Amino acid sequence: MSFLEVKNLRKRFGDIEVLKGIDFSLKKGEVLSIIGSSGGGKTTLLRCLNFLETANEGEIIIGDKTVFCANGTEKPTVSLEAQLSFGLVFQQFNLFPQYSVIDNLMLAPKLRAKSQKGKIDQKTLDAIREQAEQLLATVGLTEKANAYPCQLSGGQQQRVAIARALMLSPDILCFDEPTSALDPELTGEVLRVIKSLKDSERTMIIVTHEMEFARNVSDRVIFIADGLIEEEGTPEEIFLHPKKEKTKLFLSGGHSEI
Amino acid sequence: MELFLEVCSKLANGFITSFLLFALTLIFALPLGLLMSFCTMSKKPYLRVPMKLIVWVLRGTPLMLQIFAIFYLPGLLDLFIWPQINTGWLWLDTTFTTRFIAALVAFVINYAAYFSEIYRGGIESISKGQYEAGQVLGLTKRQVFFKIVLLQVVKRIIPPMSNEIITLIKDTSLANTIAVYELIYQAKEFMTVEGLIWPLFLAGGFYLLFVGLLTIIFGKIEKKLDYFKA
Ligand SMILES: Nc1ncnc2c1ncn2[C@@H]1O[C@H](COP(=O)(O)OP(=O)(O)O)[C@@H](O)[C@H]1O
Ligand SMILES: [Mg+2]
Repeated sequence: MSFLEVKNLRKRFGDIEVLKGIDFSLKKGEVLSIIGSSGGGKTTLLRCLNFLETANEGEIIIGDKTVFCANGTEKPTVSLEAQLSFGLVFQQFNLFPQYSVIDNLMLAPKLRAKSQKGKIDQKTLDAIREQAEQLLATVGLTEKANAYPCQLSGGQQQRVAIARALMLSPDILCFDEPTSALDPELTGEVLRVIKSLKDSERTMIIVTHEMEFARNVSDRVIFIADGLIEEEGTPEEIFLHPKKEKTKLFLSGGHSEI
Repeated sequence: MELFLEVCSKLANGFITSFLLFALTLIFALPLGLLMSFCTMSKKPYLRVPMKLIVWVLRGTPLMLQIFAIFYLPGLLDLFIWPQINTGWLWLDTTFTTRFIAALVAFVINYAAYFSEIYRGGIESISKGQYEAGQVLGLTKRQVFFKIVLLQVVKRIIPPMSNEIITLIKDTSLANTIAVYELIYQAKEFMTVEGLIWPLFLAGGFYLLFVGLLTIIFGKIEKKLDYFKA
């Protein structure tokens, strides 16, 4: 029984079709890695899943609920609930610079509680703070709770961004090249945190150029080229026995650009 | 000595009027400018196009002209267009209050136009990633603007804003052209009536002191927002 199902997702920018019909499905708790050379449409796919872009066609189904359906004519609507089913960790972190680390984590849950109940009581606030502290511990940044983003290294900022994305407990957490903006010596700490998040309840989609990492952490791998899924399979299938020429070429070093 | 004290007290009176014009202009023009910047950035052409035109005219013509326009126009309309109505608004017998209000209105719309461009520059300089991070976390557009973007914009626009605000206190002297008794008006009276020039320089000292104070205040605000980088 698949938990996330993406059907025939298409996205055009002007006349250029960037996603040409993407289909895949994931079980709950699975980790999917998406690989492919740059310009292939990986970021666009994640952005469509997070509703930062509106796909022109296709369906997104979570559990037994169709949360997004576009047929190319009328403008599809997205509920807040659907939006919050997905979380996204950006390549550039995008922390809120004026808030301390802990406040970066607490901002969205606080605003959400406020809009649900009119105002926020001390008990709710304490619960949110406790959850934030727990997540900071998970990403190993307990002692940085009161620091500001500008005082952190890139790796630390990205770990805060991961914790922030987890605050609203998204069903599916997406990462768009989470280590591409980092100095090489800082990628390890971020990848270790992502790996530690693997959990039977947490479904993750990771766009990455770290092949070693993709091989270690993922249950499934998708190779995207020119807006289409070129090849899909287990890490063994993709990395050890790729079938398509394009995949072989890419894996043999066609991907040396970051 | 007596003369000096008299000059000082007259100038102080004038300065109060200048300051009132300054403060009221800020109170109205700061929010109005923000509203105008939203219009100039709007996707809706019926908001964007007229507002861009208005901003262009307000920034493209002398403030003094705008003061005249706002002050005399109602009177002229009375005289030539609706003489039969004759609301009695003739600029010749206006009171100080109506003159002050005319000047205030001119200052507010003129400065709101300048502020709106500063806001626009600041808002457009915030990276798309900040909006997107907010959206992905389920924040509404309003929440993204007020909770995430605004303070970053404020931090970025403080230097151009402080420039503009320092210009404003000096620009209030333009109100003397429609006989608003502000600082320069008072100083000029000593020149025309008693042939004294030094009160004008003393008036300059008033501006200088006030601008010094503003500089200190803006420095403090900048320092206060130093804790983050945006
Ligand atoms: N907002 C946009 N407008 C126009 N073209 C875009 C936009 N975003 C992405 N593209 C184009 O879509 C293609 C895929 O981009 P992207 O999804 O970023 O690829 P990847 O993440 O795999 O490198 C590229 O050719 C890019 O130029
Ligand atoms: Mg990309």
